[in-house]
Amino acid sequence: MTATIGRLLRSSTLDYVFGCSVPEPEVPLFGAFVKAPAQRGKSDVIGLIYNIAIEDDPFVRQMIATPDLDEAYIQDQRVNRQVPIEVSVLAIGYRNGDGFIHDLPPQPPITLDRISPCDADEIKHFTERLDYLRLILFAPDVPADELIAVSLRLAADCQPAEDRERFLRNAGRELAKLLSRDLARLEKLLKRLKP
Amino acid sequence: MIRMGLELNKLTHKVDALGANAEKRLANINKRLPVVQATFTAASAEQESLRKKAESVIAKQIRWAGAIPTDEPIRASFEKPEHPDRANIIAADGSQIPLDRHAIAQYYVINIGSIVFRHGLPDAPSVFTSPEVFFEDEDIYFEDNTLTTEMINAKRDLRELGELARLAQIESAAAPTVTFVDNSLLLYIVLRESNQSFSDRIIKEYLEHLTAIQQSGAAVAGVVDRPGSANIVRLLHLSTLEMDEIVPDNLRRVSDPFLHFRDETLFEFLKPGERSALFVLASPANKTYYEPFGHRVYFFFLNAGGRGTGNILRVEIPEWVAKDKMKLDLVHASIVEQSKMTNGYPYVFIRADEIAVVSSNEREQFQQMVMGSLIKRGFSPSVSQKQFGKELTRTGKRWR
Repeated sequence: MTATIGRLLRSSTLDYVFGCSVPEPEVPLFGAFVKAPAQRGKSDVIGLIYNIAIEDDPFVRQMIATPDLDEAYIQDQRVNRQVPIEVSVLAIGYRNGDGFIHDLPPQPPITLDRISPCDADEIKHFTERLDYLRLILFAPDVPADELIAVSLRLAADCQPAEDRERFLRNAGRELAKLLSRDLARLEKLLKRLKP
Repeated sequence: MIRMGLELNKLTHKVDALGANAEKRLANINKRLPVVQATFTAASAEQESLRKKAESVIAKQIRWAGAIPTDEPIRASFEKPEHPDRANIIAADGSQIPLDRHAIAQYYVINIGSIVFRHGLPDAPSVFTSPEVFFEDEDIYFEDNTLTTEMINAKRDLRELGELARLAQIESAAAPTVTFVDNSLLLYIVLRESNQSFSDRIIKEYLEHLTAIQQSGAAVAGVVDRPGSANIVRLLHLSTLEMDEIVPDNLRRVSDPFLHFRDETLFEFLKPGERSALFVLASPANKTYYEPFGHRVYFFFLNAGGRGTGNILRVEIPEWVAKDKMKLDLVHASIVEQSKMTNGYPYVFIRADEIAVVSSNEREQFQQMVMGSLIKRGFSPSVSQKQFGKELTRTGKRWR
């Protein structure tokens, strides 16, 4: 069974937010590919994590001024109180049968749905085409360029070692098409993608 | 359309008057404070005769909510003792869904939240909740009458202490252990004496829990924040009476400069971390119920630190804690230690409350569960017409 890293708090066609308790060192990470079930399990909405926020809490606020905070208090706040960590995900496509569609999903996931990380095979399969980059580039309120750079590097890591450079070069070509009217932005993005 | 409900504009001038009144009251208290403090100082110079006076009140079986001095000088202060490197600090608190005769069914829920904080270990504390729903006839009625809110509160207090007794037995072997309720140890229902047989049943079990905590080797204390008590003020009033003037009428007639004075004000001289002298609570209930089982209630005031000059708490302990220096010191030190980062109110209390509290959302969800259970059995549950009307008018905007 795929690991659950959180449960859905709220969603829309464009994006969704899930909550999780104390983050593990490797999940969730900015730029990571995740999925959430939709249409009663008929499909999965594939997304990229674009923001991880730790909610403010008046109780914690009161404690931050204490100079020598014992570990037990810190653990109580982190483990027992579970002040929710909100993770925002940009929808970049969805699974349709055995394939993936690079477009906005027909339905968003529903409250409390389990969110799981995409495994390497799924990422490799999803990024065989790069049409989804367009959804990131023009998404409002998202650090789009940083998200593209990090997620493409993560996707490249899922390719066989000998294919990684080729994958990034293809991605660069796709971005060049999409940003042909914004050469300054394209240049910055390509620099970030250089191995 | 006219907006109904609390029309704040109609209260504006009253709120102004309220503020002015509070200012006037404070000025009045401050004006009398030097006289009361002088009485405190004078009384402390005659501690032995004061104790005799207080004991004579008890001997005469006069109902008097004062205090009896112990061997500690009444105006003394004691610094925070050293906190053990390793100790268990346990607190329990309760919350409830009250019994509501207008609801779809007759039930109430008591939820107890507790926390075991293992001072000196880096682990997260253990937290527990223990919810229970009461719906049987013997839970709902007492001698043909529906349980009052006061009675259900007493049952909640009882369960809080029961949870502390359970945890004390588990934790005490590992390290010095102190257990806390954020309430008086002297049960309110016993003080009220409104339903003797019900109170008797509750207090019997309550005292059994105190004994269980005692036998576990742990200490126990009840802590009251912003105490409204005036036991010491009454003691000072007593100090102004001659022996032959100690009669019920005189004791009841607390007048200037003591009127409306609260003990908390008297102990503002305590520095952060310091506790006051120990006193015995001179309540008849203390003598009748607690003393025969060795749980006579003592109390002291404690400046737990925090913003400004600190926060004064009232701490109640049974006699076997008061007379055991290690236990007394553990109660004192752990309250101060636990209040360091939470502005003069112990951390474990805040957490126990947070764990126990039943939110309005949870209350509603539970009601839905009850409704589902009734529907499954062929009932068509409904609230009273009064409740139905309230739900109609309170769920949305209130316009007419």
